[in-house]
Amino acid sequence: MNPRRSFAAGTGLFILLGFAALAYLATQTSSVANFSSGPTYDVVAQFDNVGSLKDRAPVKIAGVRVGSVKSIQLDNQSMEAKVTLAIDTRYNDIPDDSFAKIMTSGLLGDQFVALSPGGSPDVLKNGSRIINTQSAMQLEDLIGKFLVGGSSPAKSSSTGAAGGGKNGG
Amino acid sequence: MPTDADADALVEVRDLTTMLSGKAVFDGLSLDIPRGKVTAIMGPSGTGKTTLLKHITGQMRPDRGTLRVDGQNVPTLGREALYALRERIGYLFQNSALLTDYDVFENVAFPLRQHARLPEVLLRNIVLTKLQAVGLRGAARLMPSELSGGMARRVALARAIVFDPMLILYDEPFVGLDPIALNQVLKLIRTLNRTLGITSILVAHEFAAVRQVADGVHLIANGRLVASGTPEQLARGESDWTRQFFGGEADGPVPFQYPAGDYAEALGFTGAAA
Amino acid sequence: MSADMKTKAPRGGMLVDGLAQIGACGLFLLALLGAIPRSLRHLREISRQVWFVGAMSLVIIMISGLFVGMVLALQLYYTLSIFGGTAALGTVVALSLYRELGPVITALLFAGRAGTAMTAEIGLMRATDQLAAMEMMAVDPIAFVATPRFLAGVIAMPLLANVFSMLGLLGAHLVGVTWLGVDNGTFWSNMTSNVDVWKDIVNGTWKALAFGVVVSLIAVFQGYTAPPTSEGVAYATTRTVVFASIVILALDFVMTAFLM
Ligand SMILES: Nc1ncnc2c1ncn2[C@@H]1O[C@H](COP(=O)(O)OP(=O)(O)O)[C@@H](O)[C@H]1O
Ligand SMILES: [Mg+2]
Repeated sequence: MNPRRSFAAGTGLFILLGFAALAYLATQTSSVANFSSGPTYDVVAQFDNVGSLKDRAPVKIAGVRVGSVKSIQLDNQSMEAKVTLAIDTRYNDIPDDSFAKIMTSGLLGDQFVALSPGGSPDVLKNGSRIINTQSAMQLEDLIGKFLVGGSSPAKSSSTGAAGGGKNGG
Repeated sequence: MPTDADADALVEVRDLTTMLSGKAVFDGLSLDIPRGKVTAIMGPSGTGKTTLLKHITGQMRPDRGTLRVDGQNVPTLGREALYALRERIGYLFQNSALLTDYDVFENVAFPLRQHARLPEVLLRNIVLTKLQAVGLRGAARLMPSELSGGMARRVALARAIVFDPMLILYDEPFVGLDPIALNQVLKLIRTLNRTLGITSILVAHEFAAVRQVADGVHLIANGRLVASGTPEQLARGESDWTRQFFGGEADGPVPFQYPAGDYAEALGFTGAAA
Repeated sequence: MSADMKTKAPRGGMLVDGLAQIGACGLFLLALLGAIPRSLRHLREISRQVWFVGAMSLVIIMISGLFVGMVLALQLYYTLSIFGGTAALGTVVALSLYRELGPVITALLFAGRAGTAMTAEIGLMRATDQLAAMEMMAVDPIAFVATPRFLAGVIAMPLLANVFSMLGLLGAHLVGVTWLGVDNGTFWSNMTSNVDVWKDIVNGTWKALAFGVVVSLIAVFQGYTAPPTSEGVAYATTRTVVFASIVILALDFVMTAFLM
């Protein structure tokens, strides 16, 4: 009876290993890994152009992931992209004058939202709006500038004026 | 000849006709296998003896004719009925056909495990009893690849009788056995028949061995029954068939030459002949 | 469906031969599926076969996965660095493995390692009358021999493909991060933001399952219908590898086009 039982045990072990591999790949190497399990609060930012920013793209401060992009919609009035960011609640003292910038990891890498903390004593809360934003850098624009003769630093298109009055929580 | 349809026949073959690859293997074969006896079936190689056993067990279906085993017409049986019938028949294959994945014990236990939910202790006792009967209880844990031809055949025999069948079919059980192993198998066939009353059909070429154990002999050739009787009657050689078969003549009703075209022509002598 | 299943080659050229084979294979698949309820009584046999075709293939699958991942990282790093895109290394490796290389290479290795073994084993069981002996013991060889092996192959293939991909990722990480110096965080975060569970991992697993079905079907069918001679079995084993490989690659194209 013994050899038979060890067969069954080995088979069970093999099946377990196979499913463990599937579970690992599915939860640790795919976008599922980006769903933060903890509670989050929502912050809105408007951009001229989000480039190829996608839902669930990371939101980082100083390179550390603090949340993810929850949704990207077109704001009908301003004709700008309205990006909702879901920030982990444990990062609850981000100054409300922080600067949001769409950046690219590497030249061809993915786009993410980088927050540069400001100096305001007030912090971002659920429903806050980030006023200072900078759109995605467009590769085409960049190349165009180089070809035309390369003028000055990239035009910082701060959209602060657009949402200036409606700051609050 | 099976003219008198005696009620004592366990197997009744009537007007059996079978074509295989365009050749008539059986051409109106009729014969009876009496209950409780050892009946030998003899005939030239390729005459259809194995095919007949396959018909009896429903592994092959004839084109025409009836084939009754214990009253049931085998070719008309459905799957369930056929499998139920097979559980009452033991079959010893020409090459033993042990399952190479399992050891001797598990081979003999195989039919029990498949068909009967027995407590392990009871199963073990049955298997060891059958192995003891064929003298191989000590070999229970050997694998089939570790057995000699004679031992493998005895294990196959133990497996064939594990359900105490009413009928055992032996397909050339003596082939490739040394004289000692041959006598052991012969003794087993006799014992099983005499002590348990199991009806036996024995396909074999060794007339000396058949003579010691068979109650009756059917000789088939060209798809028909050509002679039938006790071994002694056949040994007297009263027909061309029996003379050739048991008298050891090379030429007779079964031609020495396989059918061929003209010999001279094949050697290229056509021109010379013309 | 039983021992008297005839495999007479019909006259009329390769096309008819081929069609007849495909038809016979399809009918055989129906017989296999029909026998599933009965073969569930032989759970022990199914588990034994999962061990033989699955667990026994683990070593070759793991070693191959590791090396494929390593060479993938090496090649892609070189290509990506031309465009300054080495940050995407993790993503590209993972997508190649999950969507394509994992299922396909695993299936090809599986056909060579487990498929041939199934064919040869069943062919020899036929040649040595073991299948006929089962029939005589009132055990249906389709339900006891063919279907458990088929099911075991279908179960084992997707699991093996995922193990392959996992080891491939390990190999790629080894070469890309440890050796070539891609940033560890970038390697993973780029991957996690681009790999989709359903589109990439689950669809890849479906692919592997489909390959498991065709490879096991071909292997069992070839074994079951092999002429009962040593030449016949040898030839059937070869056919298993050839047919399975062609069908895997063709099916891969079809599934990629319609599924992914
Ligand atoms: N499955 C089959 N298909 C075609 N021909 C067969 C088949 N089985 C047996 N035969 C042919 O039937 C004849 C009888 O074979 P068989 O019963 O094995 O003879 P025996 O056992 O008397 O030597 C042989 O000519 C053999 O070639
Ligand atoms: Mg024979």
